[in-house]
Amino acid sequence: MSSKFQYDLVALVIFALVVAFGVPAVMNYDGFELNTFARYLALAIVSMALSLSWGTAGLLNLGQAATFGMGSYAMAMHLKLRASDGLPDFMAWNNVETLPWVWVPFESLTFTLLAGLLVPAFIGGLIAIFMFRARIAGVFVAIITLAFLVAFQLLFINQQGHTGGQNGLTGLAQMSLFGWIVDPYSMGFYNLVAGCLVVALAFGVYLTHSKFGLILRAIREDADRARFFGYNVANYQTLVFCISAALAGWAGMLYTLVLEFASPTYMSVSFSLAIVIWCAVGGRESVIAAAFGAIVVNMLEGRLSDVFVEGWHLILGVIFVLVVMFMPRGIYGLLSESLQKLRGIGRPRDHRDAETFPNT
Amino acid sequence: MKRRDFLGSLGAVGTAGMLSTPALLSSAGRALAQGNDIPVGLLFSLTGAVAVVESTLHDAALMAIEEINASGGIHGRQLRPIIEDPASDPATYADRARRLMIRDKCVSVFGSYTSASRQAVLPVTEQRKNLYWYPTLYEGRECSRNVMYGGAVPNQQQDDLIPWAIENFGPRFYMIGNNYVYPKEENNYCKTLLEQYGGEVVNEEYVPLGHSDFSSVINRIRSEKPDVIFATVVGDSDVAFARQYHAAELDPSKMPVVSLTRSEVEVKAIGGEAAAGHFSSAPYFMGHATPENEKFVEAYKSRYGGDQVTHFVSEAAYFQVYQFKAALEKLDPSNITPETIRDAAVGLTLNAPQGEVLIDENLHTHLWPKIGQWQTNGQAEVLIESKERVAPKPYAAYAGQTCTGKGLVKA
Repeated sequence: MSSKFQYDLVALVIFALVVAFGVPAVMNYDGFELNTFARYLALAIVSMALSLSWGTAGLLNLGQAATFGMGSYAMAMHLKLRASDGLPDFMAWNNVETLPWVWVPFESLTFTLLAGLLVPAFIGGLIAIFMFRARIAGVFVAIITLAFLVAFQLLFINQQGHTGGQNGLTGLAQMSLFGWIVDPYSMGFYNLVAGCLVVALAFGVYLTHSKFGLILRAIREDADRARFFGYNVANYQTLVFCISAALAGWAGMLYTLVLEFASPTYMSVSFSLAIVIWCAVGGRESVIAAAFGAIVVNMLEGRLSDVFVEGWHLILGVIFVLVVMFMPRGIYGLLSESLQKLRGIGRPRDHRDAETFPNT
Repeated sequence: MKRRDFLGSLGAVGTAGMLSTPALLSSAGRALAQGNDIPVGLLFSLTGAVAVVESTLHDAALMAIEEINASGGIHGRQLRPIIEDPASDPATYADRARRLMIRDKCVSVFGSYTSASRQAVLPVTEQRKNLYWYPTLYEGRECSRNVMYGGAVPNQQQDDLIPWAIENFGPRFYMIGNNYVYPKEENNYCKTLLEQYGGEVVNEEYVPLGHSDFSSVINRIRSEKPDVIFATVVGDSDVAFARQYHAAELDPSKMPVVSLTRSEVEVKAIGGEAAAGHFSSAPYFMGHATPENEKFVEAYKSRYGGDQVTHFVSEAAYFQVYQFKAALEKLDPSNITPETIRDAAVGLTLNAPQGEVLIDENLHTHLWPKIGQWQTNGQAEVLIESKERVAPKPYAAYAGQTCTGKGLVKA
């Protein structure tokens, strides 16, 4: 067990305790505040999903919002069907007369939950196979995924009769999970989202410290060398892409539950870039840091917009620029560097020895 | 073990310390501290894609609030506007609406320009039984008991317009709109009217929102030679369309664009020269000559600048605040909740800049439809004014469905 793994475990436990007990207590178990924070937690999942592909494997996926949106719409389709008797209202407006076949299986919650994970994973995997078999890397991954996102969003909006177009899916029912009606303002719902985040993070920590994670990092550093060692680079990259997409879909499902509607803006370029920013601010090398980044940035956005109604966008922009300039590795980088410095002060002799040794 | 425990507790203390920083997390201090004020929310985008139009709605509503406060408030209580900027993003609308309705305990929220943003606000509004005052014309087919609809629905914009256009220009309509629900619904309704008055659709075309290259559309218009261009193009798209139509030297006296969405704001961006000769249908135009409107325009210009324009949405954003005031004046000050406000508002009449408006029991507004022709100075000359106030029928295109005071009734 490496010391880094220990640190991550400790951080995970602290994070889980704070999220599960600290935050609700600070908020006096107030329904509104819990709902707002649950939104941040759902976004933290998509941010940590990006850190898996970007931070660990070095694949900057700018299409993360597309897979997030798929999960979000899967959940919304189920809730829309539950809310309407027969045909959803917007279909009638668009002169669609029978329920499209893609909608039919979403009557079932089990199918919906599976589809919310597997459809994004499948589509993410499909793109990944084409990209990584062709050994596309670096900035081109970003360009292709971005192009996919734009095309996907356009297609989605255009299929108005099936997707609700620009307005998205609204007027949803509340989800009922084993007879429990999910009220997005309740402590139970908050615990559900927090639990999902902690499970996702635990999975992420395990993954990054497993052999799989090590190989991914090796690929990130030098794909050719990993290939010479006999690893099938494309397969590893595709797999991490699928996992990241499935986690994004999971986050999307929770997001629909929090906000009670699904909108095509969840698949917008600006949302996708926002995910990259959260991940960068927190630190893309660690899944916990990336989740933390999403929470911090969204909390900051919430508070700034409360205090500076007119200028909050500008202030946020300046903060991002400063972070990228002075903390290129995010909060995580800052912490680990200062930890190293602290260690350096604690062991001055080793330090001096290392410096003086070559001279003697 | 010891070291890990130490690190753990250090981390926990640090994190807890940071989380309990009051400025970042707790916000209870703001809610209802100021005693007798009446908190109302303003939820219009001041930044982002639709801010150009939506900020004018914000300005108009805020002006009405401040006028009311300056003249002594309501039963001696001041209105306290709580302003949020949802930045043209539906998710942010949902978030800010929660703040206004749950945390700040606003008894009403005024907001939104696009249907997408109204839809984003609806879940929390209905769940918390709040009241959302929506000033924009929209596609109808909605019958919420928690939304006050101040703008026109299809029957109010088209019932006079379509027979008039057929009579004056001819029966062949070319429909062009952006690809979303509003243009489709308006066109659905237009088709039922065309059938009734013997008109026909020569082409029905939708371009993506924000689309700005209309050369192929204009070529098709040239070859089809329709009598009327029935336009539901919005925002920047409409500006581009009008300019390119003008540049292609298509003659408005032979093939006029009859728009449901073009207001003084768009015409200001298009330029009077290119907009001149075309038509719009709306319940309000800036040049409408009534004492109420002169007062409104005068106040708006002196407050926000002489080059500013008022239009059919900002007028509704303005008069809806006065409707809210009139409803509150009917109520016992100790019994002000969103639902009592709504019930008091039904049946209210008010002298708005466009004429006397009435709130229907289906919470939509009885309005005065007008047809205006754009002039080179950027103003519309009102050619036709409806002889009587027109009732809102949000389900007019759908037989057997009516929006009533008890919600949607299906026959």
